[in-house]
Amino acid sequence: MPPRFGCLDLNAWTKSIPVIDGYGTESWTLKGARILEVHMEIEDDPADALLPRTMHPAVPAYAIFNVASYPESPFGPFAVAEVRIAGRTGVRPRGHVLRSYVNNEAAAKEMAARWGYPVAAGDVSLVLRHDRVVGRVKAGGSTVLEIEEVDRDSIAGNDIQYIASMHLCRNKGDGKPVLVQVDPEYVFHRAERGRPRVVTLDAEAFRAREHLRVTWPIAATYATADVTLPRLRYVCNPELPALQGTSKVAA
Amino acid sequence: MKFGLFYEISVPRPWTNETEKTVYDRCLEQVKLADELGFSNVWAVEHHFLEEYSHCPAPELFLTACAMVTKNIRVGHGIIVCVPEFNHPIKIAERTAVLDILSGGRLEVGTGRSATWTELGGFCVNPDETKKTWDEIVHCLPKMWTQERYSYQGRSWSMPTRTILPKPYQKPHPPMWVAVTSPGTEIDAAERGMGSLGLTFGGFKEQEEKVKNYRRIIRNCEPVGEVVNEKVATVNFLFCHEDDAEGVKMGRRLTGSFNYLAAQLVAAREAFPSKSYPSLGLLPSLRQEAAGPGDESGAPEGVAIGNPARIVRALKQWESVGVDHVNFLLNALEAVPQEQVLKSLRLFAKEVMPQFQSRGDNAAAAAGGR
Repeated sequence: MPPRFGCLDLNAWTKSIPVIDGYGTESWTLKGARILEVHMEIEDDPADALLPRTMHPAVPAYAIFNVASYPESPFGPFAVAEVRIAGRTGVRPRGHVLRSYVNNEAAAKEMAARWGYPVAAGDVSLVLRHDRVVGRVKAGGSTVLEIEEVDRDSIAGNDIQYIASMHLCRNKGDGKPVLVQVDPEYVFHRAERGRPRVVTLDAEAFRAREHLRVTWPIAATYATADVTLPRLRYVCNPELPALQGTSKVAA
Repeated sequence: MKFGLFYEISVPRPWTNETEKTVYDRCLEQVKLADELGFSNVWAVEHHFLEEYSHCPAPELFLTACAMVTKNIRVGHGIIVCVPEFNHPIKIAERTAVLDILSGGRLEVGTGRSATWTELGGFCVNPDETKKTWDEIVHCLPKMWTQERYSYQGRSWSMPTRTILPKPYQKPHPPMWVAVTSPGTEIDAAERGMGSLGLTFGGFKEQEEKVKNYRRIIRNCEPVGEVVNEKVATVNFLFCHEDDAEGVKMGRRLTGSFNYLAAQLVAAREAFPSKSYPSLGLLPSLRQEAAGPGDESGAPEGVAIGNPARIVRALKQWESVGVDHVNFLLNALEAVPQEQVLKSLRLFAKEVMPQFQSRGDNAAAAAGGR
């Protein structure tokens, strides 16, 4: 096997991870979501330190900045902003979520307990303007992330391929760290693509410190869709490559 | 049915001073043997930046070396990325002509547009544009090869009148192919009178449908060149062994290594959503099929791994759906030791090739068989 895997310091990282309440959650369907996603290439070697050993870095390395607003949920409207590092578990493209800022405490608690989202409290906003879409997160009194899609152009919803997320959390049952795969389903209503901009990025606020350095723009998309956060299907041992350490947890 | 080799030239880490040279030397040794055994062609891809998966950015150089150590095997330069940021069209016309001359008229020209963000992004190419530039360039190439003086004012490139030299050795020009990965590209090939160089497996049913469409449409094509190249090729893996279980086991090692590497690259569609790339392209499709459900011994449907009887069965199925060329990947990550690659080629030529038309007798004789 190729000797290239993520090299996240699990001991340090898992000192502060959410606890997932088993793998039996029901799915949530969140209608009318608005999703801004920005893809940026990042420096390869430092970013390996943001991927667990389960994952192989994407070639080239890139980060996914995502701000989504959900007007309806069992816990009221909420918005989420997160940064993922793209990689692969085995042969599947996946993004390791570094941190998810959520502006609704009750929803955040459920997301952590059901899907292992690494949540933190933040003031998350998604603003549509005629020339751009802006996603912004304020936490601890300052802006920690601001991303934009500019020069908006319509595309088809099925042109967009969101990759599934991997959440590093602790299993309530045995107390061990586990990587949970969350692969939402999307029914698109409209979609567009534009140029991406990262206006502000406080890497520390996403636990990335010096490891996350944006180097090159790829693309930005904005979409409206119905999103289903699914029942969990797979979990991985974060200490093993995915081909050796993946387990199925649901039919 | 004819058989060829298909090279990505995968080089495993760690990359020492000798690693790449060793892999290239082994590939050349395989090609030399394949020529002696009666394989009809050797294809080499053009890829850039694809770590471990493909260290083959200059296939025309590799193919020149192939031509120098072989007598009959045709050299397939493909696919050439027909995107000006990768290859200026004049340079494509010139270097293909030189390769055709040096190989004594054995060149096949495969064309395409790249399917990964890894490469497109590296050359700062807008993925929305690649289908259009490919189309423009494949219409220009035959004229650049055949007209004494040539000028062009187009959408993605232009040039004043010049004499593009040299001209290809084959007259009127070498056969042209299109890399077919995205759904519908076989129709692009047919409409332009070009060969369909399939780079995904797909199921037999899907392939049969594609071939039917291709053959129907090409009858009324408007060829980009002066000749129509009505041929359908697909790519496959090859590991042939007397013992079926051994053959399947090693073959799975080969397919697994290839698929794992392919998965690490970033498909254009994954990073840069565009209707220009409706599918994930070559790599994931090939991966899915190769990892798909297989028969009891674990060989996926249609993959040429196992003993000769199993491989004959698989290839007969491809033949029955209208495929007339199969190009084989022999290795990835050097997962198969070189001596076993060579042994597999010899056994294939001795036991499998004679079951198909075209040079079967020569092949068997060269391999020391019937």
